[in-house]
Amino acid sequence: MYASLVSNRYLTSRLIPVIAVAAVALCVALVITVVSVMSGFLDMLKASGRSIVGDVIVSSGIGGMPYSEELLTELRALPEVAGATPLIDTIGLLRMPYPAGPQKETAHVQVWAIDPASLSGVTDFADDLYWRAPKDAAAADAMAPDDPRRSLDPTILEDGKRLVQSSTKTPGIALGMHVSVGNARQRDGSYLPRYGWFMPGLEVTLTVVPVSGKGKIAEPREQIFPVVNEVQTGLFEVDRNRVYIPLAEGQRLLRLDEAPLYDLTADPDAAGNYPVIGRTPARVTKLLLRAKPGCSADALRDRVQAAYDAFADRVEADRMRTASMPRFVQVLTWEQQLRDLIIPVEKEREMMRVLFSLIYLVCAGLILSIFWAIVVEKTRDIGILRSVGASRTGILWIFLRYGLIIGTLGSALGVLLAWVIVTNVNPIHEAIGSDAPLAIRITAWSLAAACALGLCVTALRRKFLPTLLWMLGTIVLSAAALGLSLHHGTLIWDPSIYYFTLVPDKVDWWAAGTTAVGGVLFSVIGSAIPAAKAADIDPVEALRYG
Amino acid sequence: MADQPLLQACRVHKTYHFGAHGVEVLRGVDLAVHSGEWLAVLGSSGSGKSTLMHLLGGLDRPDAGKGEIRFRGDPISLQPGAALDAYRNRDIGFVFQFYHLLPELSVLENTLLPAFVRSARKRDRATLRREAEALLGAFGLDHRLSHRPSQLSGGERQRVAIARALINRPAVLLADEPTGNLDAATGAGILDLLAERHRQGLTVVMVTHDREVAARATRQIRLVNGMSDVVEES
Repeated sequence: MYASLVSNRYLTSRLIPVIAVAAVALCVALVITVVSVMSGFLDMLKASGRSIVGDVIVSSGIGGMPYSEELLTELRALPEVAGATPLIDTIGLLRMPYPAGPQKETAHVQVWAIDPASLSGVTDFADDLYWRAPKDAAAADAMAPDDPRRSLDPTILEDGKRLVQSSTKTPGIALGMHVSVGNARQRDGSYLPRYGWFMPGLEVTLTVVPVSGKGKIAEPREQIFPVVNEVQTGLFEVDRNRVYIPLAEGQRLLRLDEAPLYDLTADPDAAGNYPVIGRTPARVTKLLLRAKPGCSADALRDRVQAAYDAFADRVEADRMRTASMPRFVQVLTWEQQLRDLIIPVEKEREMMRVLFSLIYLVCAGLILSIFWAIVVEKTRDIGILRSVGASRTGILWIFLRYGLIIGTLGSALGVLLAWVIVTNVNPIHEAIGSDAPLAIRITAWSLAAACALGLCVTALRRKFLPTLLWMLGTIVLSAAALGLSLHHGTLIWDPSIYYFTLVPDKVDWWAAGTTAVGGVLFSVIGSAIPAAKAADIDPVEALRYG
Repeated sequence: MADQPLLQACRVHKTYHFGAHGVEVLRGVDLAVHSGEWLAVLGSSGSGKSTLMHLLGGLDRPDAGKGEIRFRGDPISLQPGAALDAYRNRDIGFVFQFYHLLPELSVLENTLLPAFVRSARKRDRATLRREAEALLGAFGLDHRLSHRPSQLSGGERQRVAIARALINRPAVLLADEPTGNLDAATGAGILDLLAERHRQGLTVVMVTHDREVAARATRQIRLVNGMSDVVEES
């Protein structure tokens, strides 16, 4: 009872515990904020990855997989599969329509030849098409006056979904949002044309290099495509590199389409052509699959692997087939497929967690030094308590309890502070990236002026401590006011580095819990050494010299 | 066992060590305090009066193997730490020259401190509070219950210290220069208060260097000659 009485009085009658609580709260808030943003970043990366490639990816070599439609029909019939789509994944060169003049800029791109309809059932392709007319007048009013979407024709979205320019009925191309230089991202996440280049409707030239199943490179082939839309997956690396063309165009350009099969052992006819004995099927290099709800990506991967092997065996056994399935295909979950992207971020998060956890040591050191000072100051009190019968354990508990309360209060406040910061991180980022409002600048200068006045008054009274405090206040507030007046916005979260356009704003509650427990634990550890010192103090010495 | 001393020092030695040097403050002190007496221990500064009081009160122990302190015949100085803690809490009440009140606690809380050390049960709190209020009321401090020690005069602080020493109804009150920090009139008031408690049966051991203060006691002893002798005075 006396331990709680004494430690509560020590807590409530002094300023120093408030400083200790504030220190713990800041340490805890810092760790939670950093880990939450990093975890949110990783979660967003994973969520985006899944929405871009589905749950399971079947990848073959450069020669591709024949009979893909037949295989897809079987895969779609599996109870675990919600959707499946074929595609060809290759690289190419894209000649842009800019700049004006004969010399055009060329970008190297990742080319996805897709079946847009089925791809939209597996990924968020249709939802990721950026250019679309506003749904209604209210949506249009919410857009900036110069936003090109306000005046778009509704057909642009349908053209993007089909990868066909409806006005000319020609196959079209959809570019990743950052493939061209023509899109300037605004602070609200929308885009405005830059340098006058609004890409939809313009033509680009795509060059790809067909490669045979034996790895021989054929003559590069190129095709002019009208840009029908642009795609914003939210993953900057994808949006900067990827373009989408119709699957049939990709197969044709890469010579993976259906073709006659010649008998090269027979004699050619008068024109030099060998007799046709059949047709080789069209090929694709990847299959993407979406799992039904409740089915994990790992379970689907195993199921697809088994189904593929069974299909390949049947094709192998069928003498009427003109092609065989590649034996070595990779069947990976989306996490395995994107591990090059995910693992570095995971490592980065863990590294940040470890580095920022060192703050615990700062926290413990701070508590230790504060408590050490308190114990030295309270030596006489310890002697008094011992004289009325308090045990050494009781003295130990007074100071451990003190540390426990400071750690608990500090951790709780830290979690609250972190919650406020993390959930408002985008408005805060927005504010940092914008000019400070006039009212805040005026307030800052007014406070600085008030401090300067206080400084003058105390200086005239020749009081050192108040003069020093007013001087510090004047300097700090003047610097803040000057900074706010000169500051014109700083972009901290660069999407070209962090993949995403928004800062993650969800608190990682697991990290918050463990950090709060850590804050309490290290506060108790920090108070343990002074507490033990207090318990060891000789009561006679404490009474005589305390 | 009717003449058994309540508190007894038997050939007690105490040496303080300062690095390689040792200063022997008490050299075989013998002392017997009987129940109901008021004993004054006289001596000049540095004579070891406070050391003797700390040993009698269980705050310190004699040199190993060189004497012992007995309470009701039991060698308490040989007891483990927990037993000494209980002895200080239940059987002894300390009053110091500089009051030694906790500055963060109110008058009432300071008084209740030994009671709270003794009893950890919350249901005792109301009873203890009533006892402390009655005690403080008897000392004329009923209007000061919620005040901090810094808001009290010296005499009031010493009365609070005496109330704290008495809250657990100890067998012996050990007072170390209880009037040493007070003016004559206030000191006399404190001595009156001790005298009243002594009349009610409390055993008091009071350390002082002031002959007039010592004269209030029923028996006086003097520590002299480097504490080697105890001289009984009338």
